Amino acid sequence: MVEILHNVGYGFQVACQPYNLMYCFFGVLIGTLVGVLPGLGPAAAIALLLPTTFHVAPVSATIMLAGIFYGAMYGGSTTSILVNIPGEAASVVTCIDGYQMARQGRAGAALGISAFGSFIAGTFSVIALTFVGPFLANIALAFGPPEYFSLMIVGITVLTYLSSGSMIKSLMMAGVGLMLSGVGMDTIAGKYRFTFDIPALLDGVGVVPVAMGLFGISEVLLNLETEIKRDLLTTKVKNLFPSLKDWGLSIWPIIRGSVLGFFLGIIPGGGAVIASFASYAIEKKIAKHPEEFGHGAIQGVAGPESANNAGAGGSFIPLLTLGIPANPVTAILLGALMIHGLTPGPLLIKDAPDLFWGTIVSMYIGNGMLLVLNLPLIPLWVKVLKVPYYLLYPLILLFCLIGAYSLDNSVADVIIMLVFGILGFLMKKYRYDGAPLILALVLGQKLETSLRRSLIMSHGDFSTFVTRPISLAFLITAVVLLIIPIITGRKKLSTLPDE
Amino acid sequence: MGKSDGVSGSFWFLFCLFIIYESYRLGLGTMYQPGPGFLFFWTGIVVAIMALIVVLQSFRAQAAEEVQEAPTGKRTTTKVILVIVALFLYAVLMEWLGFFIVTFLLFMFLLAVIEKKKWWFAVLVSAAVTLFAYLVFETALQSQLPKGILEFLRF
Repeated sequence: MVEILHNVGYGFQVACQPYNLMYCFFGVLIGTLVGVLPGLGPAAAIALLLPTTFHVAPVSATIMLAGIFYGAMYGGSTTSILVNIPGEAASVVTCIDGYQMARQGRAGAALGISAFGSFIAGTFSVIALTFVGPFLANIALAFGPPEYFSLMIVGITVLTYLSSGSMIKSLMMAGVGLMLSGVGMDTIAGKYRFTFDIPALLDGVGVVPVAMGLFGISEVLLNLETEIKRDLLTTKVKNLFPSLKDWGLSIWPIIRGSVLGFFLGIIPGGGAVIASFASYAIEKKIAKHPEEFGHGAIQGVAGPESANNAGAGGSFIPLLTLGIPANPVTAILLGALMIHGLTPGPLLIKDAPDLFWGTIVSMYIGNGMLLVLNLPLIPLWVKVLKVPYYLLYPLILLFCLIGAYSLDNSVADVIIMLVFGILGFLMKKYRYDGAPLILALVLGQKLETSLRRSLIMSHGDFSTFVTRPISLAFLITAVVLLIIPIITGRKKLSTLPDE
Repeated sequence: MGKSDGVSGSFWFLFCLFIIYESYRLGLGTMYQPGPGFLFFWTGIVVAIMALIVVLQSFRAQAAEEVQEAPTGKRTTTKVILVIVALFLYAVLMEWLGFFIVTFLLFMFLLAVIEKKKWWFAVLVSAAVTLFAYLVFETALQSQLPKGILEFLRF
C-alpha cells in the first residue's frame, strides 16, 4: 500500500513536468476532436500521429497517445447525442437515447451526464489500474511460453467472438493477420520469410501502416461511395449541468458502468465497445421503466458512456502488464511502445517505472482536463461538425499519407498503407472485420516464438499446453468461446457496427 | 451471406493455398524443433478450410434467397477508383516531385475534379492546405518531408 502510494507520487512527479502536461493536453484535445469527427476512429488517429512523437521521449509520447484514446471516448458521445452519428464505435449505443434526449431539448443534460459519467468512470478505472496493474504483473512473471501462447490464443478468440459480423470470417481475419506477421525476418532461424525479394518487405509488414489503411483510408473510400448526409441539430445547447433528478437516475448506472467497463476492459479481446453495449443491455434489463429506453432515458446515456471510458482505462492493464493488447487501439499502442524501444510486459513496471506510473497518473490528470475542456468547448465541437466532408476527407487522406511516410521516411510504408486501404474497403463491403487482423498481426511474432519455444522445451510434446494449469484454463476458455456459437447457433453477444 | 461471399471466400482460399505452398518451401521442421514455416503452414490450412466453408455457405444462401446487394452507382465506383489511383500516384511521385507539388496536385484533383468545386476555390484551398501541412509537419513536428525537384530552393 505504502509502496503504491510512493509510486503514484513518483508518477505525479513525472506526469506534472510541464512538457508531459503539454503532451497530455494535446493528446486529450486531439482525442476529443477525433472522437467528434465521424470516420476517423482512435485507432487510425493514434497510428496517424505516432510518427509525430518520434523525436520526443517515450514517456511523453505514450502519455499523448493514451490521451488520444480516452479523449476519443469523450468526443464520440458529442456527435452521437447531437447528430445521431457515433464519432466512434464505442458510442454507438449513446445514439439511441442520447439523440432522443437532444430532440426533446435535453441535449445539455445528455452531454453533461456523459461528461461527468466519463470522468467518474475514467477516474475509477485509473485508480483500479493503479492497484490491479502491479498485482497482475507479479502473477505474469510466473508465466512461461506455454502460458503466453494460450493467453494470446484467448485474446484473439475473445476478440473474434465479440467482433462484428460472422465468427468464421473474424477467425479467418485473425489467421490472415497471423500470416502477415510472418513476413520479414524469422528471429529464431534467422531467415527471411515471405519477402519475395521485395526490399520493402524485409522489415515485415508494419502494424501502423496496416492500421492506417484498414481504419483510415478504407473509411474514406467507403464514405466516398455513400456520401454522408448529416442533419445537425440546430437547437442551442444549454444547461450542461444535470439536475438533481438526473443525477439520482444516473448515479447507479454510472457506478455499474464503471465496474463493468473496467472488468470487460481487462479481458484480452474485450474493451470499450463491448463494455458500452453490455452496460446498455444491463440498464435496460434492471430499469423500473424499461419502456423509456429508446425514448430518451438518461440511464441509457450515463451507463454506456461510463462503461466505455472505464473499458478504455481497463484495457491498459493487459497492455502494460502482460504486453498483450486487448483491442486494435491498444495493439497500435503496443506497436508504438516497441518503436520507442520499450517492451510492454510484466517487467515494464521495474524497467521503466517512469513510463508505467507516469502514464497512469497522466490519465488522472487527463480525465480532469477532459471534464474542464469538454463542457465549455461543446459549441466548438459542434462547429467542427459543420466542416463539409469534401474538405474533411482530403485532409484525412493527406494526414494518412504524411503519417505513413514519416514512419520511416519511406514510400514503401505509404504503398503498404494504400494496399491495406483497398483491402479494408473491400473487407468492409464483404463484411470482414479488420480488428482481429490487427490484433493477430501485432501478436503474431510473440505467438510464434512462444509456440516454438514451448515445443522446444517440451521436446515436441503438445500436451505441455494442457498439463500446465494456467495454460489449460486459458485454452478451455478459448474452446468454450469457439463452441458456444456452434452449439447454440445463436447470434453473437451483440451485433456490433463496423469500426 | 450472399453471392459475394463466394467471391471473397475463394479469394482467401487461393491466398491460403499460396501461403501453404510458401510455408512448406520454408521448411516445417520437426515437432522437436519447429521450422520457420511451421505455424503458417497450419494456419494456412485452418483458414483455407474456413474459407471453403464460407464459399459453401454462400451457395446455400444463394439457393434460399437472392440477397440484395447494397446499390452502388457506377458514378461513385469511378470516384473511388479515381481517388485510389490519385493516392498511388501521390506515393510514387512524392520523392521525385517533392511534397509541395504532389500535395498541391492531389488537392487540386480531389477538389476540382472529384468534388467539382470552382477552380479558384480549389487553387486557394490547395495552396493553403499545402502550406499549412508543411508548417505543421516540417516546422512544428520535424518530420522530414521529401523536397524532390524543389531541393534547390533550400527552404
